[in-house]
Amino acid sequence: MTTSTITPTTSADDMLSITFAALADPTRRAILARLATGDATVNELAEPFEISLQAVSKHLKVLEQARLISRSKDAQFRPCRLEGDRLEPAVEWIARHRTVWESRLDRLEVHLRNLQNPQHELHRTKPTHKKEPKQ
Amino acid sequence: MNDTTSNLGEVTYTRIYDAPRELVFECMITPEHLTHFWGPVGVSTPLANITLDPRPGGVFETIMVDDASGDEYPSRGVFVEITPPSRLVWTEPDVEGGMTTTSTFNDLGNGRTEVIVHQSNVPEMFRSQEASAGMQSSFDRFATYLTTL
Repeated sequence: MTTSTITPTTSADDMLSITFAALADPTRRAILARLATGDATVNELAEPFEISLQAVSKHLKVLEQARLISRSKDAQFRPCRLEGDRLEPAVEWIARHRTVWESRLDRLEVHLRNLQNPQHELHRTKPTHKKEPKQ
Repeated sequence: MNDTTSNLGEVTYTRIYDAPRELVFECMITPEHLTHFWGPVGVSTPLANITLDPRPGGVFETIMVDDASGDEYPSRGVFVEITPPSRLVWTEPDVEGGMTTTSTFNDLGNGRTEVIVHQSNVPEMFRSQEASAGMQSSFDRFATYLTTL
């Protein structure tokens, strides 16, 4: 996993890539999930993982560079805090991406119908949408 | 028909079309067809904005144009596999460290075709159970979002 140093010129797209890269690791996601319940020190964060403190620190550094967490500068144990707002662009990107594909596949349906039945070009029956029930 | 599942990140779209498999496949790799449906509603993809070389290593580049604002959305893909009429794979190296889109075309008989578009690395993050299970407080948005999928 490579991380980029954030510079003032980092574009929104680059920032998104950094966010996704930081989130690609399961340990880092678990750390974020833990921080979602409240601030924690490195020691507290390391507890549930069978990895060294050093390894946890490395993960924290990646998350910090992606600005997904912040660490207090002065407190003795420098507790980590989740910066949940940073996740928003990632969530938005996925939602937007999904909408594009849904719409694209809908339009393919219309196009296929027109190709096969040009005289009924204007006649469009409403497609039946099946949605899986969610729990 | 449409069916979309997602673990946030690994996204699968499934559709069944009343069209033969060869035709559906052809639509996905022919600019003259793509221009009719590639842009979502409100967005156009003019023929001149589609560059497509249907062979492994060939480019698949499109520039979608927002009908209202004129904003352009370029996308740059490279074909990995083209197996007519059943499988089509391309990657977009610019997107989140390399997104791969795999389209599978299944012949259902009677001139019907099932298309499964599977995207990985959309990002990878959301694949794991804990990613959705452990989310609280700031992560509530994720949970809410998940229920909409």
